[in-house]
Amino acid sequence: MATKFEGNVKAIPEMPPKEIEEIRSSMESVSRKVIAENIERMKKTWPNRPKTMQYFDEISNFFGQRLEDIRAQKEAGKKIVAYSCMFAPIELILAAGAIPVRIDSGWYDAAKLGDKIVPVEVCPVIRSAIGTQMVNLSPYLELSDAVIIPLTCDGRTKLSEILRDDRTVWTMCPPRIKDSPESRKLWVEEVKAVKKKIEDLTGTEITGKRLRSAIELTQKATKAIRRLQEIRKGNPVIMGRDAMLVNQTSMWDDLKKWMQKTEELCDELENRIEQKNWACSPDTPRVMVTGTPMIWPDNWKIPNLIEESNPQGVIVVDELCSGDRLLYDPVGVDEWTMSDMIDAVADRYTLASTCPCFTSEHGNEDRINWLLDRIKEYRVDGVIYYVLRGCILYAMEYARIKRILDRMNVPIYYLDTEYTREDVGQMKTRVEAFLEMLETRVALKPVN
Amino acid sequence: MTEIIAEMLRVAIIAGVIFAGILAILIWVKDQTKKISYLRLFIQIAAVPVIFLGLIIGPFGLSQFPPVGNAPRDALVGTEILGASFPDGLSVPLLACYYPSGRTVTCPIWQIQTYIFPFWSTGLGFGWGVYYANTGLERLAIVFGLVIVMSIVLGRFFCGWICPFGLYMDLMIRLRKTFKKGYWKLSERVNIGLRQLRYVIIAAFLILSFVFGTQAIIGLQLVPGTQSGEYVYDYYSAPFCQICPMKPLSVLTESALGFMDPTSVFSQNTGLLSEAGYYVTSLNVSVLALVTIGALAFRRFWCRICPLGGLISIFNRFPPFKWVSGVRLNKIEEKCTKCGICKRVCPPQVTEVYEEKGGDVTSPACILCFRCVEMCPYEDCLEIRVAGKPIYNSRNWLEGLK
Amino acid sequence: MIAAGIDIGTQSAKVAILKDGEVLSRSLALCGFDPKEAAGQAFKEALKNAKLSFEKVEHITATGAGAAKAPYSHSTISMMGADAQAGAYFFSSARTVIDVGAEEARAVSCDENGNMLNFVLNSRCAAGAGTFIEAMARALEVELEELGPLSLKAEKASPINASCVIFSESDVVSLIHRQEPKPEIARAIYDAMADRISSMAHRLGIKPHIVLVGGVAKDVGFVTSLKRKLGTELLIPEDPVFAGSVGAALTASKRIR
Repeated sequence: MATKFEGNVKAIPEMPPKEIEEIRSSMESVSRKVIAENIERMKKTWPNRPKTMQYFDEISNFFGQRLEDIRAQKEAGKKIVAYSCMFAPIELILAAGAIPVRIDSGWYDAAKLGDKIVPVEVCPVIRSAIGTQMVNLSPYLELSDAVIIPLTCDGRTKLSEILRDDRTVWTMCPPRIKDSPESRKLWVEEVKAVKKKIEDLTGTEITGKRLRSAIELTQKATKAIRRLQEIRKGNPVIMGRDAMLVNQTSMWDDLKKWMQKTEELCDELENRIEQKNWACSPDTPRVMVTGTPMIWPDNWKIPNLIEESNPQGVIVVDELCSGDRLLYDPVGVDEWTMSDMIDAVADRYTLASTCPCFTSEHGNEDRINWLLDRIKEYRVDGVIYYVLRGCILYAMEYARIKRILDRMNVPIYYLDTEYTREDVGQMKTRVEAFLEMLETRVALKPVN
Repeated sequence: MTEIIAEMLRVAIIAGVIFAGILAILIWVKDQTKKISYLRLFIQIAAVPVIFLGLIIGPFGLSQFPPVGNAPRDALVGTEILGASFPDGLSVPLLACYYPSGRTVTCPIWQIQTYIFPFWSTGLGFGWGVYYANTGLERLAIVFGLVIVMSIVLGRFFCGWICPFGLYMDLMIRLRKTFKKGYWKLSERVNIGLRQLRYVIIAAFLILSFVFGTQAIIGLQLVPGTQSGEYVYDYYSAPFCQICPMKPLSVLTESALGFMDPTSVFSQNTGLLSEAGYYVTSLNVSVLALVTIGALAFRRFWCRICPLGGLISIFNRFPPFKWVSGVRLNKIEEKCTKCGICKRVCPPQVTEVYEEKGGDVTSPACILCFRCVEMCPYEDCLEIRVAGKPIYNSRNWLEGLK
Repeated sequence: MIAAGIDIGTQSAKVAILKDGEVLSRSLALCGFDPKEAAGQAFKEALKNAKLSFEKVEHITATGAGAAKAPYSHSTISMMGADAQAGAYFFSSARTVIDVGAEEARAVSCDENGNMLNFVLNSRCAAGAGTFIEAMARALEVELEELGPLSLKAEKASPINASCVIFSESDVVSLIHRQEPKPEIARAIYDAMADRISSMAHRLGIKPHIVLVGGVAKDVGFVTSLKRKLGTELLIPEDPVFAGSVGAALTASKRIR
């Protein structure tokens, strides 16, 4: 921001390039280690992991082949459009021939860096994003030509200002009341504005034909992930963490290839169902995780605990914007005219969303219905309500959801944590006790 | 004898083709988001020859092929069977119109307006050239009875699947789509206002009908020229039909195709907006033009204000009728994620399906086209229930994508 | 059937040995720097008191913060599970168990068979656990065992900041400088802690009867404050510090197959 006294004053103070590179490369090596470790842990829990998962393991490496691919494409002239939060309409980015990458940060150490700029009370995902900006840690963010930031929460609103110091940032204003006619008008205008910006950046006009094929691509991706989710309804033939990894890699992978590999994985899993080749015992307590995002690689803390503790639990479904919610809702187009497609894209990102940053005339009953339906369909034994300290939106919805689930006699546990490795011991105690409780309940349930 | 067999053969062929078509669509259309739409379009098209069956087979005993008629009862199927008790044709709640020749059914609006007066007398009808065997009151009772029963059983299913004017609306939509133009939406307030307008129109034409018949009913001429046999009397006996868009559509189409003699159609036309013609007035044609333009901009434009639709909803929406009505839409609350697709794809912009939490979500403005059920991407969320039993659910249509 | 439970806490390691579901012997050893060693010592002691050899023990279950450091164990169970088992064992009418340890406090719901149905924890900071009392006793310059009886002499409590141990400590010092009577300060300390524990218990939802276990359950000052705060009676077993190890041993005996 320019002031009349000092010229351009940035929020992040200048750091000597040598220091930046030191910190960055040490964080990169930590990150590589964590990625490798997490994958090892998943393999250990599930020795008989399908071969197809190797593809997702490779994509999960931020500093690996996918980065090379994106670099090569950028050199060949393609534009990279990054986005924070799943509200950015990726169909528009794909239609213009650009590459969408989500840059919500999952690095713990970066959050500590971010503490220097903003107070500790701020959401750790935001602090981590600031930290990655400080030391250029996120390779995809570094390669991007523009960042779309939908201002869904206070943290993101201010993050956009901080990133704006060094990057091209396009903000979008999602309405807080998601389904009033006025807010739909606002959001459609926002989508159209971003469409224009993307067209200007890439120099490609987003024609009806291009948009149609982009929408059809995301519809097929939705089809693939729904297939995987159907499979998880039965006995556990895939462990929760692996499914979460499949979900998350779609955030930065080439969607077409990702979709093909997911279908392959589903084929393999369906074979395993016939052979009754379960990933863990069918009477393992079935856990649903709901709440704030759990982003690879560092924030795998809770899923690791759930699936490695004694007694073991298996995550069968989650309500996370970094997990099962990512591609679940399709863009439903009625007439393939430009205005209808834009309407459909706009609706898909607001109306279908269960994020607590929204409210509607009837409160956030969408989320409640979603949770209740999942509990029934996936035969969930217990719910872990996961909140990163600082997220008021998720924290405040807990009261109502707890009372509803209490009435249905479904155990729910509020787990709040931070971007830190230090509280693993405390989290372990809680997760283990919760799983013990579930095991007892499962044992006490009357046999059908 | 051979003629009767020939007629029956023609009917059998038509029925066979329709049946085969339905089967073909059910089996071969794989895209779940289009299946019901294609089926509906097919049945709408198939309904047209059925409604205008007289142009193909004619009344019993009389060969009408190729038919050229001019009076509304020319080639009217069923005249011989129903005889003098119902020579105007059965009232089915479709905007099928009284005026074109060769129909099987008649628009109940015409019948209600004309049977209102003088309903106490029998004998040769006034200006309609027919001998009625039953009193006006009996005729009214039969019309209302038929409409009520059909409204209860099928409700606005007629609107979505059989009404030929509905087909016209849908063809306008397809025409607009071929030019890749988008559609417009009315604001919710205006839409709801139009819904209320339907009942106002019904009330208005009933009152007008009465006003124009005061001479015959109470012996007092409220409007000059409404004496029996007078110009106004003869032609304003059915006031709504002078502004109905279906009349010019069906009459002009039949004239163009040679089923009605154009010269006699237009010779009875005074051409003045303020004076009625027998078949087509300028007022009719203007309304048709407006509705057509409206239908190109707003989907199913006429259906939002159609008074016949309003009539059906009266007998379908309020409690005693609601509980026994045949075709209804149901929603399962937990499955709905409020994604809003149903609200967006709905041609007459019905919002109840989206807004109601669960259970019965049938709305009086809904034409039961089931586009919402087709496009809902969540398994088992919306259901079509016939007589309380679900016969079709929304499904994950993504599975049909290649 | 011989079963044993090892509870490795932050301050001490406790061992209980059961025969056919009845407590045979117990032993405690301070952890110091080596919890594993302490646990081993306590185990030897308990075996000696029970006049049993090591091989006779069929199943050992470990619990507590240091359960992973147990020198020998066949299985583990969470503190919450152990508390539920112990509560129901000590008192058949127990439905809620409150366990206040050195650094952590828990409240657990249980049924008549000792199954843990729900739990809630309070360990964000140490102001709701035993270490708080130790720090306060130091600040008041009173022996730990005397703090409780001292507080009973007071009729009301002085106001102290109860949000953080560090702040409370300096609060206490300034109260002493102002010549506030020590019994009232002592009572304030226990009231503050009871307040914390009681709101934790209410988060769980209290069902009578309530059992209080853990080292702090022996502190008469705390027990009085808590009873007053909760407004109910509290059932306290004879040796509340052994609840965890007894609960673990009960779990162990259930797991002998």
